[in-house]
Amino acid sequence: MSRFFATGSDSESEESSSADEITPKAPGTTFKQSLLLSDDEEDTKRVVRSAKDKRFEELTNLIKTIRNAMKIRDMAKCLEEFEQLCRAFLKSKNIVDKEGVPSFYIRLLADLEDYLNQLWEDKEGKKKMNKNNAKALSTLRQKIRKYNRDYETEIAAYKENPQESADEEEEKEPEDSGSSSDSDGDGGDEGVSSKSFLKKKPEAASEASKFLKSAKGSGDESSSSDDDDDDEDWGSDTVDSGSESSDEGEGRSASLAVVFLKKTQDSDKPSEKKLGKKKKPKKKERLEEEAEEEGGEEVEGGWEKVKGGVPLVKEKPKMFAKGTEINTAVVVKKLNEILQARGKKGTDRAAQIELLHALAAIAAENNLGQGILVKIKFNIIASLYDYNPNLAAFMKPDMWKKCLDCIDELLDILFDNNNHIFIGENIAEDSENLAISDQPFRVRGCVLTLVERMDEEFTKIMQNTDPHSQEYVDNLKDEGRVCGIVDRLLAYMENKGSTEEICRIYLRRIMHTYYKFDYKAHRRSLGLQGESKSEQDQEESEGEDSAVIMDRLCKFIYAKDRTDRIRTCAILCHIYHHALHSRWYQARDLMLMSHLQDNIQHADPPVQILYNRTMVQLGICAFRQGMIKDAHNALLDIQSSGRAKELLGQGLLMRNMQERNAEQEKIEKRRQVPFHMHINLELLECVYLVSAMLLEIPYMAAHEFDARRRMISKQFHHQLRVGERQPLLGPPESMREHVVAASKAMKMGDWRTCHSFIINEKMNSKVWDLFPETQRVREMLVRKIQEESLRTYLFTYSSVYDSISMETLSEMFELEIPTVHSIISKMIINEELMASLDQPTQTVVMHRTEPTSLQNMALQLAEKLGSLVENNERVFDLKQGVYGGYFNRDQKGGYQQKQGGYQRGGYRNQNQSNY
Amino acid sequence: LPVSLPKVVLKIIKHYQEEGQGSEVVQGVLLGLVVDDRLEITNCFPFPQHTEDDADFDEVQYQMEMMRSLRHVNIDHLHVGWYQSTYYGSFVSRALLDSQFSYQHAIEESVVLIYDPIKTAQGSLSLKAYRLTPKLMEICKEKDFTPEGLKKANIGFEHMFEEVPIVIKNSHLISVLMWELEDKSTVADKHELLNLSSSNHLEKSLQLLMDRVDDMSQDIVKYNTYSRNLSKQQQQKHQYLQRRQQENAQRQSRGEPPLPEEDITKMFKPPQPPPRMDTLLIAGQINNYCQNVKEFTSQNLGKLFMAEALQGHN
Repeated sequence: MSRFFATGSDSESEESSSADEITPKAPGTTFKQSLLLSDDEEDTKRVVRSAKDKRFEELTNLIKTIRNAMKIRDMAKCLEEFEQLCRAFLKSKNIVDKEGVPSFYIRLLADLEDYLNQLWEDKEGKKKMNKNNAKALSTLRQKIRKYNRDYETEIAAYKENPQESADEEEEKEPEDSGSSSDSDGDGGDEGVSSKSFLKKKPEAASEASKFLKSAKGSGDESSSSDDDDDDEDWGSDTVDSGSESSDEGEGRSASLAVVFLKKTQDSDKPSEKKLGKKKKPKKKERLEEEAEEEGGEEVEGGWEKVKGGVPLVKEKPKMFAKGTEINTAVVVKKLNEILQARGKKGTDRAAQIELLHALAAIAAENNLGQGILVKIKFNIIASLYDYNPNLAAFMKPDMWKKCLDCIDELLDILFDNNNHIFIGENIAEDSENLAISDQPFRVRGCVLTLVERMDEEFTKIMQNTDPHSQEYVDNLKDEGRVCGIVDRLLAYMENKGSTEEICRIYLRRIMHTYYKFDYKAHRRSLGLQGESKSEQDQEESEGEDSAVIMDRLCKFIYAKDRTDRIRTCAILCHIYHHALHSRWYQARDLMLMSHLQDNIQHADPPVQILYNRTMVQLGICAFRQGMIKDAHNALLDIQSSGRAKELLGQGLLMRNMQERNAEQEKIEKRRQVPFHMHINLELLECVYLVSAMLLEIPYMAAHEFDARRRMISKQFHHQLRVGERQPLLGPPESMREHVVAASKAMKMGDWRTCHSFIINEKMNSKVWDLFPETQRVREMLVRKIQEESLRTYLFTYSSVYDSISMETLSEMFELEIPTVHSIISKMIINEELMASLDQPTQTVVMHRTEPTSLQNMALQLAEKLGSLVENNERVFDLKQGVYGGYFNRDQKGGYQQKQGGYQRGGYRNQNQSNY
Repeated sequence: LPVSLPKVVLKIIKHYQEEGQGSEVVQGVLLGLVVDDRLEITNCFPFPQHTEDDADFDEVQYQMEMMRSLRHVNIDHLHVGWYQSTYYGSFVSRALLDSQFSYQHAIEESVVLIYDPIKTAQGSLSLKAYRLTPKLMEICKEKDFTPEGLKKANIGFEHMFEEVPIVIKNSHLISVLMWELEDKSTVADKHELLNLSSSNHLEKSLQLLMDRVDDMSQDIVKYNTYSRNLSKQQQQKHQYLQRRQQENAQRQSRGEPPLPEEDITKMFKPPQPPPRMDTLLIAGQINNYCQNVKEFTSQNLGKLFMAEALQGHN
């Protein structure tokens, strides 16, 4: 014991624990040896050892040395050993992966850090240290800090109650030691409190004393779970080490129940313990047989099976021992115990969910109140989300169903106890109120987050389902449920939630609404005719228009939201919704007012995708309304890049494959919009090309000879060129070919052919029928084609006419005379057409004021001469030097004779004489 | 005062008609002799069109052969110049200058006959004889095309070439032939002279003129930079000299020996002056175009007035 005092630390209990820990760390050594001797004497008797054993032995040995070094304050040695330990730990990585991080390892890490911090604080001591040691100290301190970051949670858990766990272990130890010599295999007797410390001296503590002690170790919650861990860690060890030890291991796994039992009791009924104690041996015997059978099998398989089965499956039936009084505290403790395993490597997640369900059932059975039920539900849902370790993977259908059910139930409970349960992220664990039913329950947790996560999971499922399969349809049916949940939560939040939370749930709601076309409202707005009365009544009872909802939700967000992102999304969705329902002016005004176009490039990719979708929808809306120019402008950005698919998040481009690695691809895949929200790309392209055609063809005709003419739409020109390059022109097949063929017809002013190319059965089925108001759009389109063809015709053929009657034109293009009149007037006003209207005869008289090519050239020449003269003047300036150039000189009187102002010819002669 | 016999004119026209198309240029040698103060051109023969295939074709050899053969048949064989066709009057070029210089250098009385087939096709024979002015000859001899050299020579584009008046004398036989030809030709051919359409010709001229103007602008910019650089360097040189002088004066006052003279030209290399001859030629060419356009437009104006009068009369 002297070494215990040698540490001379102020936190006695902790130090002592670290001192004593050496002992259990060596599974090979007997309990006695390890207690009496600090040296490690290998138990050479053992021959059969699993890989795990070997590794852990190595680790424990190293830990022992470290602890020794700590005691004598040999920092250099400590550092050296620690480095070795880390390496050894890495080596045993695959075992650790299976088993979870062994607790003794964590213990060492925690202790070592504490120890080092302590030394660090101790300035005096540091001064006394020799140089080597001091240096090692600082390096080690930094190292362990960095290293411990990876094990933060475990260490924290350990630090929270080192003493209890120590107690727990300690009390078990002697108990086990009776049955087998390998009892020390359970690593647990750390944190020996002074009492237990005393008790350790007599090597095998008496049963009585143990009971006494455990009685003292009052209501510790986590001890049982700790024990659980321990069991996992060491169970295999014990099994492998032969029948004898396996017996012990099984015994301990059984004892877990006992311990649990014990714990539940020790708050009020210590006497019950004996009952549990008696039970144990029986179980042990039974299990022993089993274990012996297993022992004969392959070693690896043996322990694996035990690990998977023992703590969870076998345990399940005896979640609570018979006769235990189930109350809130007990359930909470059990819950925590289950949760402890969460996130650990070796935990069977499916089984964990099962356990939680069972627990919930028990809680419900025993009428423990809604509070505890809510808490368990929270955790079930959380574990459901946890089920997939990979962020990219999506939930399996049954999991998903379970998840939906759970959330539904949770919401049920919440609604039923509207004023009785408080939920919040910021309610601390310890201020929870789960039991006292006359006060409102307080439960830690956030439904909103759960629902948001659920929504994301839904998106993920949709992303990962083949959109053309029945499965997709089935999955999509769940959308209704998701929406329902969102709606319910929305109602709940409106009463309870903070503004921020309301904004978030509103955004969820908006996200589920904005892309859906509201057929009911559409039909209603079309008027009452054609619909049977009953249908209408039904519709009216079905609730408000999505437009109204969108308006309400969005406006709330505009007013209340403080995070820019939610507002941006809401605006975009709002615009999208407007555009989808052909409310062009509202959509446009909102877009312009929001100034999103200026700064959208700073947003994150999902928002940008939403923005792109909105712009496209806006463009299509403009097209439907006949605002060809607006449509073209809105679609230009998306279409001109040729990456519309990618920009809208509707698929990855193949050609980018080599540019991005697998990681990026995964990220991009996660951004994809689910199929049911897709915007039809062919429709998009067709709308764009037709808009471009209606703009570009008259423009081309008007500027045929203009050298500096620019293209309105590069893509459209590209399509035209592709069409020209075809060696053989067959009847158009694809949408693009149709548009190209139509463009050619339009160039000649042949609107009938153009019309037949744009609107026919093929195009109808491919494109036009996808619009909600198909007929109206088609009518608009025909009219536009007529008008633009007329314009094109006038541009192209005005030079061959002296005058043309408007009546003829109106007949040719099947437009009313006033329309023709207005189009021509517009062209004249815009100086596109050099003509005048002769009112009495209703004819257009051409003026022919276009400059001839000779005149054009003369103008160009004049321009060039101007620049030539300018250059010449510069040379002249240089020649004149200080006088500051020609003009000054002119004033001085060099040219005074020419009073009428200088003439260009005049000084040119002058210049030329300089050659 | 060169007198060219119509045989020569007809031969030149025939040569172009047979071999030259569009902007292609045909060339040939003029033969004749000097009589009193006149240069009589009595015969000519064309340079064969040679393509890249027969690069080893020896022109000089060919000319000598040709002249020897002519001599054998007792025809004038003295070399008195050369002729060249032109396209819209664009003939003022370096190549012309160089070859005319070499001719004039070797045979003092040489001329170059410029034949404009396009104008001729419009109804008026366009044939002009040019010689280099003595001033230009001097410059070419010295090969001094720097700005200073040209300035010293005081030569402008107007003084580069001198036109020599031409008198064409027809033999009776030729006259008879001409009459017969005129008789045979259609009415339309005869009245080509009265064609009123002008834009095509003008457009072409303007196009060419514009190209030249562009060249001119470039040259001016080049010259501008040159002169700026030059003046800057001059300044630097001046400053350097002043400094040096001051230093020397100080040294002298202290009784020290003056600094050794350094080669100033080495320190300040003057920038390469741009050759000005091209500019001069371009200016000449521009002038030529302008003359052409002027001539053409004045003729056309006359025609147009006539046409107007005719219309009014009707």
